[in-house]
Amino acid sequence: MSVAAPQSPPGQSYPTSPTARSAWRSSRMIVLLGGLVVLIAVLGVLLGPAPAPARYLDPDDTSLSGSKALAELLRDRGVTVDRVDSVEAAAAKAATGNRLLLVTDTTYVDELALARIPGDRVIVGGVLGLEALAPGVRTEPEQARTRSREPECALPAATAAGSAYLGGLSLRGPSGATACYPAGDGHTLVSFPYASGVITVVGDGGFMTNQRLAEDGNAALALNLIGTGKPVTWLVRPATPPPLDLPGERGKSMYDLMPGNIRWAVYMAIIAVIVTAFWRGRRLGPVVTEKLPVIVRASETVEGRGRLYRARRARERAADALRAGTIDRLTPRLGLASGAGRHEIVAALAARTGQDAQQVGAALYGPPPADDAGLVGLAGYLDFMERQISEL
Amino acid sequence: MALTGRAGLVAAVGIVVVLFAPQPGAALAGVCLLLAAAIVVDLVFAGAVQPLRFHRSGDTLVRLGQQATIELVVENPGRRRVRGLLRDAWPPSAGVHPRVAELDVPAGERRKIIVTLTPTRRGDRSSVAITVRSRGPLGLAARQGNHQAPWTVRVLPPFLSRKHLPSRLARLRELDGQHPALVRGQGTEFDSLREYVVGDDVRSIDWRATARRHDVVVRTWRPERDRRVLIVLDTGRTSAGRVGAAPIPMAGAEAGGGLFLRPDPRPAPGWPRLDWSMDAALLLAALAARAGDQVDFLAHDRAVRAWVSGASRTELLSSLVNVMAPIEAELVEADSQGMVAAILSRAKRRCLVVLLTDLNPAAMDEGLMPVLPQLSSRHLVLVAGVSDPSVAAMSGRRGSADEVYDAAAAEQAQLGRRRITARLRRHGVEVVDAPPDDIAPALADAYLALKAAGRL
Repeated sequence: MSVAAPQSPPGQSYPTSPTARSAWRSSRMIVLLGGLVVLIAVLGVLLGPAPAPARYLDPDDTSLSGSKALAELLRDRGVTVDRVDSVEAAAAKAATGNRLLLVTDTTYVDELALARIPGDRVIVGGVLGLEALAPGVRTEPEQARTRSREPECALPAATAAGSAYLGGLSLRGPSGATACYPAGDGHTLVSFPYASGVITVVGDGGFMTNQRLAEDGNAALALNLIGTGKPVTWLVRPATPPPLDLPGERGKSMYDLMPGNIRWAVYMAIIAVIVTAFWRGRRLGPVVTEKLPVIVRASETVEGRGRLYRARRARERAADALRAGTIDRLTPRLGLASGAGRHEIVAALAARTGQDAQQVGAALYGPPPADDAGLVGLAGYLDFMERQISEL
Repeated sequence: MALTGRAGLVAAVGIVVVLFAPQPGAALAGVCLLLAAAIVVDLVFAGAVQPLRFHRSGDTLVRLGQQATIELVVENPGRRRVRGLLRDAWPPSAGVHPRVAELDVPAGERRKIIVTLTPTRRGDRSSVAITVRSRGPLGLAARQGNHQAPWTVRVLPPFLSRKHLPSRLARLRELDGQHPALVRGQGTEFDSLREYVVGDDVRSIDWRATARRHDVVVRTWRPERDRRVLIVLDTGRTSAGRVGAAPIPMAGAEAGGGLFLRPDPRPAPGWPRLDWSMDAALLLAALAARAGDQVDFLAHDRAVRAWVSGASRTELLSSLVNVMAPIEAELVEADSQGMVAAILSRAKRRCLVVLLTDLNPAAMDEGLMPVLPQLSSRHLVLVAGVSDPSVAAMSGRRGSADEVYDAAAAEQAQLGRRRITARLRRHGVEVVDAPPDDIAPALADAYLALKAAGRL
């Protein structure tokens, strides 16, 4: 947001920050457009229909994961379907007569209280507190893939329905239980009589959703399991979770015990943090950048070549380089021309150092060392010869 | 606009007030309104930043490693006192101090602020902005604004090798025959005739002049004067490599490793070859100018980067450091053919061409070697290269197999360097190959040797 620098004589200063008026003039279009976008967004949210979130296996939900279709089918067959979202409501319904309890979610429900409700019980999916709701049923650690499965059992409700879209929990019922739709070591449907009624556990509720109900024998299985003629109490997750403030010993929650000032003090603290953030966040002038020259070590290529030698264990090349360097330095010291042949060099060197000509020849022109220790040894021997020559 | 720490403190005190107030909601609203009102009052009564005027004066040239002092006068023509902070923003490598200064200028008055720059890099450094934060009377909020007061400081190469100049000048006087030790002047240029005194070399007796006069007359000689020296600086990629230990801490010359990086165990990367070459070029130019030669300067990579010609003896060094200051190594392969063409088109008469480059066998083979004959046939060529002491150190390591592999690589590099040197010498080219600390005196000595031998 810089304004064009006016031409001024050197040594003369000029302000570069925009004044309030020029800032408004340069940014008013952006501000107006932004305001317009915000206005449209707010109006759209206020006037548009509030989209209800999909509620899984809810008899009132028409979305793909809801179960309104199943509930309507049951009602068509004269089965009363009552949707409840708490244990208290379910217990109140149960008091009116012999009913079937369909449990789809127990996240916010006291499962022990739920287990005390008498009558038939159908439990769908991996709800919390399955041990209490279906005593004796164990789940396999491995989840079963949800797919179309054959009943392979004697349960009339399942055999009549045929294949169904099942999976999820892999279950093992107590002794005397009928298990259908096998998956791995367990089954995805277990039914057994218990106390006052029949408890049926299904591994996954997918077959009851609006999306899957028309496939396979899903609808038949669901109607056979739930539409036994008894009125159905359909327990779903409440739309708003109950408040979590658990009362303490004297029946007061933590929030009740807190003085009313605390909440306002927290608001004030938030304001204080914002003010502090403005204080620390405002920079004193621009960030100054600079194009710096490249920093590259001149020896990097040499180091890289050394690393390549090392990586490939290039003893031959390394030995050649060391030998060539030594020969290059020794030839003038031995009084030879730079183009001297190998025999001349070896002979002169052997004569001057008193070393065996064979050994000198092998060191200067022999085969490359067989291993790294040989290379280190060769380097040491070359150094030794150079020292001898320079000390003479 | 800016808030101060005091505003944050007031808001923090507000937390305590709200905590113990009988009506916390009202207290919160009260504290917030009070704070907002105080901020507005502060902003209204703070001295205006917009009308401030700045005047700079002081150094525009500074050698790398030294300090430039700039006076910044702040004039407040407004109606209110301006009290707060001032930041004079410069690029980081300008090394500005103080970063932020306290400012207190009463209405209608002016105050002076001394800003010192300790640059860590050659080149031009320009001030970026002046930011003033003017606090209100309550110290809760401040007005803030930027100003531009253009000023540029040119950071010159340090010319550290000038410490070698006196000894080389003494050698030059010896050559000139002006030395008090009465050594016969060497050289090949005829200077004058004078009477023979005992101790003169009999070979220098001019018999024809002796016959004409009644005295034995000797010729005196002096080194050639008014020769031309053309210093050519290769600013291509090979000049970017850093060698040696930085005599003056330079941007990037410190040991690596930032806040989040592990410190680099290797030695600090030192100075670029370019800076060492510049140092050597300056010593040579100073020496040649004193020796009465005409010095020209050319910097070239893919194009001519700098060209100094015909500078008088007194002006030469200052104009050289001036054109050298902004030159940085370009990360491109130098165009040797273009460089030779540029030299040939500029140097009509025979001259000494001092080429400061790297004796890198691969780059030389492809670049300079094919075109060198064109140059050496018309001019005397001296190639000077800065060698890398760390490669020399590497070639001596024998600690483990890994170090021997490194030593072999270093040996390979040095071998290539020696071979290229030998090939250059075969072409009749003088070569100076010295580590960074010695390149300047070595080049000066090579020049003196050429002069003594009368080869200029």
